[in-house]
Amino acid sequence: MSDTTRPSTVTLTIDGREVTVPRGTTILKASESLGTRIPHYCYHDGLSSPAMCRLCLVEVEGAPKPLPSCVTQAADGQVVHTDSGLARTMREGVLEFYLVNHPLDCPICDQSGECKLQDYVHAEGRAHGRSREPKRVFGRDDFGGDVLFYGDRCVMCTRCVRFMNEVEKDPRLTVVERGNRSVIDTFFDDGLDGTKWSGNIVDICPVGALVSKDFLYKQRAWDLDHTPSICTGCSQGCNIALHTRDNLVQRLKPRTNLEVNAFWMCDYGRHDYEWMNRGDRLEAPVVRSGGRGTAVGWAEALEALSDRLDELGDAPVRAVVSPRACNEELAAVRALVDHLGGGVVEYRLRVAPDEDVLEGMPFVARRRELAPNHRGAELVGAARVGGDDGRGGLDEAGDHGGVLLVVGDEVADQPADFGAQADLYVYVGTHGSAATEAAHVVLPATTFAEHEGTFTNRDGRVQRFWPALQAPGAARPAWMVLRALLARRTGGEVPTTAAEAFALAAAEIAPFGDLDYPGIGTRGVVVDAPAALAGD
Amino acid sequence: MSDVPFRNPGWAGNTGEFDLSEEQVRGEDFVGARPLEGGHPAGASSYPYMLADKNPDAPLFDGPYQARYEKILTRYPDTRAALLPVLGLAQEVRGHVSPGTMNEVAALLELPDAYVRGVATFYTMYNKAPVGRFLIQVCTNISCNLCGADEVMKAFLDETGTEMGETSDDGDFTVVEAECLAGCGFPTCVQINSRYYENVGADDVPRILEHLKARGE
Repeated sequence: MSDTTRPSTVTLTIDGREVTVPRGTTILKASESLGTRIPHYCYHDGLSSPAMCRLCLVEVEGAPKPLPSCVTQAADGQVVHTDSGLARTMREGVLEFYLVNHPLDCPICDQSGECKLQDYVHAEGRAHGRSREPKRVFGRDDFGGDVLFYGDRCVMCTRCVRFMNEVEKDPRLTVVERGNRSVIDTFFDDGLDGTKWSGNIVDICPVGALVSKDFLYKQRAWDLDHTPSICTGCSQGCNIALHTRDNLVQRLKPRTNLEVNAFWMCDYGRHDYEWMNRGDRLEAPVVRSGGRGTAVGWAEALEALSDRLDELGDAPVRAVVSPRACNEELAAVRALVDHLGGGVVEYRLRVAPDEDVLEGMPFVARRRELAPNHRGAELVGAARVGGDDGRGGLDEAGDHGGVLLVVGDEVADQPADFGAQADLYVYVGTHGSAATEAAHVVLPATTFAEHEGTFTNRDGRVQRFWPALQAPGAARPAWMVLRALLARRTGGEVPTTAAEAFALAAAEIAPFGDLDYPGIGTRGVVVDAPAALAGD
Repeated sequence: MSDVPFRNPGWAGNTGEFDLSEEQVRGEDFVGARPLEGGHPAGASSYPYMLADKNPDAPLFDGPYQARYEKILTRYPDTRAALLPVLGLAQEVRGHVSPGTMNEVAALLELPDAYVRGVATFYTMYNKAPVGRFLIQVCTNISCNLCGADEVMKAFLDETGTEMGETSDDGDFTVVEAECLAGCGFPTCVQINSRYYENVGADDVPRILEHLKARGE
């Protein structure tokens, strides 16, 4: 029976500062609310707390011995010291034990630069080790999948074991042996092959024990720029960060968003980045006349295009868009099509046979729709065509007689005579293909990694992504290109920022209403929850 | 009894232990009366595990062992809790807990393979590799060590002609080091299969080995 007279908050003192937190908050979280990070390994926001790393011990006045702050609940009137002599001495002692068998191979360790052991020891550890004994050596073990295990670097926090047990619910990892021989392993040679979320154990490993084979020795962590973005693998819209260097995406990491993907992302999404680095890009606008394509400047290309549209008058318009395009691009296509007298807008969508649900967090899954913005395409009134493999369905578009506008979809599966019947075939995209050879005007666009915009995920959540790479050559965001064409014809302003493009899109997509672009922030805003979800 | 020279400060004198027969030490009820059918459920997993007829290929579990296995399950709320005694029973049947045995036990109890491996490797009393007919565990922890455990250990290794953890050529003896056997009052304490031999000195070792061979178990 709950005591209704008991206040729902407690007030305690941490390092001389008073803080009021909800009852049940741990000391670790309470001190985080004050901006004090208590060092810890085994505690992770998304996992259970075994209190086994002993690094988050704090001094609580009146307690007979130091208490693990990750499981000790804050109590009224508690006086906690996280930085007293005792607390520091305890951490120094614990860290010294962690280094007894640690190989200190930071110079060749991938985790170096983002390693908690490195950070903590640098901040509070002893300057010199006192251990004279030889270190025990495990070497490394290929766990399968993308995961490589360096046993000697492990601090036995068991985050990986708990992730597999509690979140992925595929308990393949365990602690084998005991004492200083204990090591993380699977059942002998079983490995992690076949798991779909095991890449997360690399993220949550606080040290360099679990590293990604894909990223192995590729870059140093401190050289990478982190750009908040959205995974384009499926319609879940997992929040991610693009880690870039040398104008190349080096790896993807999940970004915390408790309402979308929590702390996790699937292995498909994690490894779906090489296409962002493809070199064979369209880099300049091309105007084709008499079978010969000529690279021209933007002004010239848009002028030629606009003139041709004038000549064609009210020829029927048809547009093919991509569910990988952002809301701003889709809205710009819709606005252009409407401006030209209206017509069919269609998109193709690859659909997987099954969802891969994260068992411990069933609201996170690799969804069947394998594109980030099919909801956005639906919202601008585009119709889905083609099969579940994302191919076919463009016969009518291919034989279209008037103005054919292809934006984002590479139409790589279409024959070379695609669009041959069209009076005007405009292709706006990042890469060419055989079916875009015949386009009268080819306009180079940027990928989502190179421009700013928003996606709408399957739950109707509008989420922003930021540019991480320099666009090649003269490539520009498709929303800027199409809006510039529109502005040339209607006399409006050309949006130069994503905020302006979003404002234009919001004016055209009803559910976006008066959504404020900066207000979407890094966590997104739900604008149009599907009815099915509301019913559940 | 006074003909035995003083050996260590913790030694209580020759109690004549090695002159007694098994029957005299353990009583008539114990010897040869291993209740294969399981006896009381509380003891279902706790009988001496080194059967003379242990067979690495024996089925899990058959006949009286099936009955004991089922008895074990009745004692625990879930199969996870029953894992330790079931592993013990598997070791009694097969002599050691091989990866294949862990796999079978995991399937029987519907537990993850990896979890069973983690548990089996945590506890040193599960043999992860085949051992000899007599598993000789010499305590080398502090009390025994002060009273010459290192010499006892060396004597066992020399007499059996093995390395630590290896099995002798005739398949009779495996000598391993043990942490405290809780026989600190009687150093050096040696556990051979399920029995304790206390106050063991290095010069007792040949006699003990002969005794074991003769008894055959």
